[in-house]
Amino acid sequence: MPTDFTRRPPPLRAASPVSTPTPLTRDAHDWTADMLSVARARDRAAFMRLYDHFMPRLCLYLRGLGSPEAVAEELAQEALLRLWQRAAMYDPQQGAVSTWLFRIGRNLHIDRIRREPGWVQVLEEAAPASDEELARPFTSAEDYAEHVHLQRRIEDLPAVQARLMRMSYFEAKSHQEIADELQMPLGTVKSHLRRAFLRLQGQVRGQP
Amino acid sequence: MNPHHHLDPSTVVSYAAGALAVEMAVVAATHLETCAHCRARVDEAERIGGQLVEHQQPALSSSRLADLRACMLEQLDAPLPPTPVAAARGAPYEDDDRLPTPLHPYFGTSYRALKWRWMAPGVHCIRAAGTRSGTLLMLKIGPGRSMPVHSHGGTELTQVLRGAYHDALGQFAPGDIADLDSGVEHQPVTVPGTACICVSALDAPLRFPGWLAQRLQPLFKL
Repeated sequence: MPTDFTRRPPPLRAASPVSTPTPLTRDAHDWTADMLSVARARDRAAFMRLYDHFMPRLCLYLRGLGSPEAVAEELAQEALLRLWQRAAMYDPQQGAVSTWLFRIGRNLHIDRIRREPGWVQVLEEAAPASDEELARPFTSAEDYAEHVHLQRRIEDLPAVQARLMRMSYFEAKSHQEIADELQMPLGTVKSHLRRAFLRLQGQVRGQP
Repeated sequence: MNPHHHLDPSTVVSYAAGALAVEMAVVAATHLETCAHCRARVDEAERIGGQLVEHQQPALSSSRLADLRACMLEQLDAPLPPTPVAAARGAPYEDDDRLPTPLHPYFGTSYRALKWRWMAPGVHCIRAAGTRSGTLLMLKIGPGRSMPVHSHGGTELTQVLRGAYHDALGQFAPGDIADLDSGVEHQPVTVPGTACICVSALDAPLRFPGWLAQRLQPLFKL
């Protein structure tokens, strides 16, 4: 019997990183500028600011994906070390520092758990989109405004969409695993995720 | 190559989240090699992932963080390893013997070296070894052939590599991906002239409603 999530209080809202309201002022710090200082001048102070901000968050993310604490710490250290080592490859037009770290952390995690032949190659080959493919804001002020918009949209997601996004991003559950766990038809899982994604891209406004 | 059929947004989200089954991710990556539209969507989904991670409330104890921090500071003096060179984006592969890069670990690098197995009249296949769950296979279907009507227990992700087929959803040519879920019943028919080669991932058995197809199913092990 499928559960009707729209009729009961959102079960994860209090605990969910997807829906926890966060003061946006904290993000006024310009991580891109720090990243560029690392790239251009090997600026250790800038790197350690990035480290202090992202290290605990990456640990939490990796633990959520199922890594034991020691493994999560090891992978997060590895991810941040790559940030230091490969800073010269960072291109602000290609996305925020958080996006870059997310990719690195995710790939390290998948590499660790899957141990499939060639798996990481598959991930690395699917290179990020190039500049001309992205309609991305170009100034840091526009980028920051976009960041704030996205955060608002995340906080405004309907409870069931937020829960499914959380299960995808923080527990790496497949559509079928989500369907099984929530006793929800597969097609419903997909349509919720589809709508959540379109909403977060700002393509859908108003009620779900 | 300018694909007309793209990944479903729900597949894009799971790909970016690292939540797709391996077989599905291999086929999705094959599509992404040639599809700028879907690459940009994946980029958006990764941006969402980055923001979700950044906005978590951290829980690491400050003494533990201090230890890890000291450990990191020590590593910053090590000489930098050489910067890896970004791989060239997928070369057009239609008139080329080279398989798309994401398929190399599973099927090798060359179309000519593929060892096709007979599956049914006009249909050959190769099943990838080494995947743990689900099915990853390449199919070669002769020109002008009609496949049995089937639907899917779960999801089917099919990327066309050569040739083309059409079904109720339209025409699928090289670069196009069919991202089908259990609601879809279809009967692909390949276009005349050239064999259609595609790579498919299935996360549950196909369902063939016809009695003949049902009898054949155990033979195909689909």
